[in-house]
Amino acid sequence: MIAAAKDHRPAPDGGGAAFAPVDLSKAFDNRGITGEADRDRGALNLWGNSFASGALPGPGARVVVGGVPFVFGARDAGDNVRCARQLVFVPAGCFDWIYVLAAAERRTEDPVHLHFDDGSVDTELLRVSDFWPETDRRFGERAAFACDRMHYPRHVERRFGPTIWRQRIPITREAPLRAVRLPDNPAIHVFAMTAARARPADEAP
Amino acid sequence: MRLVLDGVRAWRHDLAGCLHACAATLFDFAGISPLDALGSGWSFHYRPGDARREEYYFPAPPGASLFEAIAPHHGATSRWRSPDPDDGAAWRDVRDRVLGGRPTIVAVDNYHLPFRPAYGDVHSNHLAIVYGFDDEAKTARVLDAVPPRFDGDVPIATLAAARASGNPVEHARDQFFTRTPIERRWLDVAIRPGPRRLDRDAARAAIARNLSRFAGADGGAPSDARSGMNGAPRAYDGLDGQARFLADMADRIDAGDDVVDELFVVAGTALAAAGVHGDFIGRLGRETDSAELREAGRAVDRVAHHWAALRIIAGRARGDGARSGAASLRRRARALQRDHEHALGDLAHAMSGL
Repeated sequence: MIAAAKDHRPAPDGGGAAFAPVDLSKAFDNRGITGEADRDRGALNLWGNSFASGALPGPGARVVVGGVPFVFGARDAGDNVRCARQLVFVPAGCFDWIYVLAAAERRTEDPVHLHFDDGSVDTELLRVSDFWPETDRRFGERAAFACDRMHYPRHVERRFGPTIWRQRIPITREAPLRAVRLPDNPAIHVFAMTAARARPADEAP
Repeated sequence: MRLVLDGVRAWRHDLAGCLHACAATLFDFAGISPLDALGSGWSFHYRPGDARREEYYFPAPPGASLFEAIAPHHGATSRWRSPDPDDGAAWRDVRDRVLGGRPTIVAVDNYHLPFRPAYGDVHSNHLAIVYGFDDEAKTARVLDAVPPRFDGDVPIATLAAARASGNPVEHARDQFFTRTPIERRWLDVAIRPGPRRLDRDAARAAIARNLSRFAGADGGAPSDARSGMNGAPRAYDGLDGQARFLADMADRIDAGDDVVDELFVVAGTALAAAGVHGDFIGRLGRETDSAELREAGRAVDRVAHHWAALRIIAGRARGDGARSGAASLRRRARALQRDHEHALGDLAHAMSGL
């Protein structure tokens, strides 16, 4: 069962022209989602906890969270990026926001570097609240998936469940974006990323 | 006889653990704001090798008790008691405390408690509060604010097993908070009566003392432990001591020393202290309508967020991850010290207008 926010719905193919899902699969290096049969492979935190696959969209699934489409990644080799300064290339275009589905081992924040086609670099902060159950958001982000159970290496805990948050990073420079350098922070896990295309200037407020 | 104390409430902070949760409940029960008691103090002190594999470890200055360390501006004290295992004193001591109107903090091994996720799976020491009992039903009323929050009755025999556990290491993932026998300990806490909230002068004085401690010379106080006399290790004190502690930890990781447990545990205490202090300052800023204080509180939050990252860096700095962990620790330490200094500057500036 997916116990998620009410505005989740399957995304149309491509997620609409307003958004560009970013392929993180080459950077996946951590197992944060497990099935009941392989929950001992979970490595989201130091104790081997993980999200239950039955409480999240399946590998490759497109899902809309708060109007933003995301694509969940593969499972076996990894399903999330444990942030360690990976450089993630984005589809061509100008964007206003980078949206992520992310979780953190205790609330934390750190810089991301936005690399533009013209060689310029801007710095913004990625802020992610704790994934731990019964823990409120602290950065005003949206609960994307509030799960109904938690996987432990040797059992399933059904009295509480962890949260994946939808957070966003602003892009203020009106220029084509090339890549995003993720934070140097192993407490932050990014499961999916989508860039929101810049609105034409005549639509700007 | 059956007794459940009134006025025992759960409190939890997302960057702190069972120690702060239990202490908060006791302060609240005593009529003192938990955030004032646990959040008004902020400092760094650590004596090398002092950390224990306990979720409720917190470094205390020489001669100070656990409660003096976590609530330095409120005059509370505490002392661990380890009842004789053979004469039934373990439960009798706690029952007597509750009968006397005092909720009591007990140490437990989560492995034995059905309401903990680690039940029957992972050994881990932890704290919970006993605030009632039913002699006929042979139960104790237990409060645990750490998720999943529990507030209910537990068989006394079950609680006794959790309190008597040797807390052994049985699995590869039983780490950090195992291998320390529970020994039926309970915490004898004395809280000095006082106003529920610090007034503006008291808050200003607390912040000034914190700033003074951070600015103090590392290891500069004239005590044996700090000066390194008699072979005692020199303690890390203040902002400079914090920098030295992190640099020493990175060097020791590079040298092949296993400091992961020590660094992880100490980082957790620094995370909790900064996190709760950030909230204290932020609330003070809202209540006094001080934009400067609100910004200072956010700057303290930033320090806490560094510690959140550092704690995970520490926990992963074993084996193949040691060398990269040391490098990552050094990078993080530089950023943390820079932002910590910035936060202290913000606090000093904001305090002048308080």
